Amino acid sequence: MRGALSLNPTYYEALKRLTLELAGVNLGADHAFLIETRLATLSRKEGFESLDNMVEELFNTGQNRLAVQVVSSLLERDTHFYTDRASFDKLEDIIIPALYPSRKSGKIRIISFGCSSGQEPYCIAMALDKAKDKFPDVTFEIVGVDYPSSALDRAKAGRYTHFDVQRGLPIRDLVTYFDRQSEDWVIKKSIRDTVTFKETHLLSNLDALGQFDVVVFRNALPHYSSPAQIRVLRGLSTLVKPLGYLLLGTDEALNHINYGFDTLARQPNIFRRREEKVVIIEDPNIKKPTDRKTFEKAKRRLKDMGDVKAPKSA
Amino acid sequence: MSAKTCLVVDDSRMIRRVASRILKELKFETEEAENGQDAIDRCRIDMPDAILLDWNMPVMDGLDFLKELRKDPNGGKPVVVFCTAERDVMKITQALDAGADEYVMKPFDSDIIESKFFQAGLI
Repeated sequence: MRGALSLNPTYYEALKRLTLELAGVNLGADHAFLIETRLATLSRKEGFESLDNMVEELFNTGQNRLAVQVVSSLLERDTHFYTDRASFDKLEDIIIPALYPSRKSGKIRIISFGCSSGQEPYCIAMALDKAKDKFPDVTFEIVGVDYPSSALDRAKAGRYTHFDVQRGLPIRDLVTYFDRQSEDWVIKKSIRDTVTFKETHLLSNLDALGQFDVVVFRNALPHYSSPAQIRVLRGLSTLVKPLGYLLLGTDEALNHINYGFDTLARQPNIFRRREEKVVIIEDPNIKKPTDRKTFEKAKRRLKDMGDVKAPKSA
Repeated sequence: MSAKTCLVVDDSRMIRRVASRILKELKFETEEAENGQDAIDRCRIDMPDAILLDWNMPVMDGLDFLKELRKDPNGGKPVVVFCTAERDVMKITQALDAGADEYVMKPFDSDIIESKFFQAGLI
């Protein structure tokens, strides 16, 4: 009998490489338990006898659909309501007031990038509903984006457990914006209708999403590898309208490349896009976001690693 | 700077112990009371910074305690966090109207207590 972690070590390394290839995210050594638990759930859902069977199927047959599901499961983040409150409050206190004069009688489009199970876009909707008297004559469109995943399905349903709604959510927000349904709490239609969710690969071409006045991308950047951080930020820069804003998490920054943004004075995690057309000098060593078959490449690398055969069953 | 004080009010000895242990980890000094009347008596001697308050208790329930507390000249000082199995929206609203600052629905864990005490400005 093996120890607590039963996944074949070769498969473990292969999954780490696949996640890096497909999503640009480095899974550290502390993710071993997460890989086991999350993929065990997925393998049961997909009808496999064991986790090893599923991973064997993944790498031997090269199912892109399964690869996306595996990587999406591994990247689901445990998000809370009003995570990193200090940076969240800057949206209402600094960014919206700055945009408001030029958007009066119009619309402010906000995107929550990497929204996981939806707490962030719903918090934005609740905060702006509470502040509606401060910003009359403007409508807000809020879009939550993430990889297709069960977390994103929960976001679309707006349904949260007893434990979810007690982490970060003030009780007055719970009674104002949620209905109790059996043991769960469901966000009220008035708030849910202001938020739409879209499934998007965060490293893919993002043009189809259109442009936004505010891009919110908080507390996810450090998980990406350095080249992937550059690809993600470059993609995000194209989503921000001229003179629009990018909001990162507390203590997060753009790291040496400005991507056409200026940093706000005394606000190191708020970036305002310049008015002129952004020209980004390409570094030939940095991969461009394309629709290339990254999974095929990952498979080739796995083949190079040699042993990808499943262990014999005990 | 001295540690903040929290009075844990619950008729269950086990809940009082679990909650006190969590609050001590959050650097609170804790005292315990087993019903609303016991809690009122303790508050009149020494008003705490925070009260973690059960609803359904013998002698005096949590809601009556809270109404009584808020009538006291110094009774506006403690931050009151209800901690109860009552999950009905009407009940929660009733607690807030009576002067509760936050509300924990049982069962709870240390993350929930920490989050609610943070929401209430206690940490």
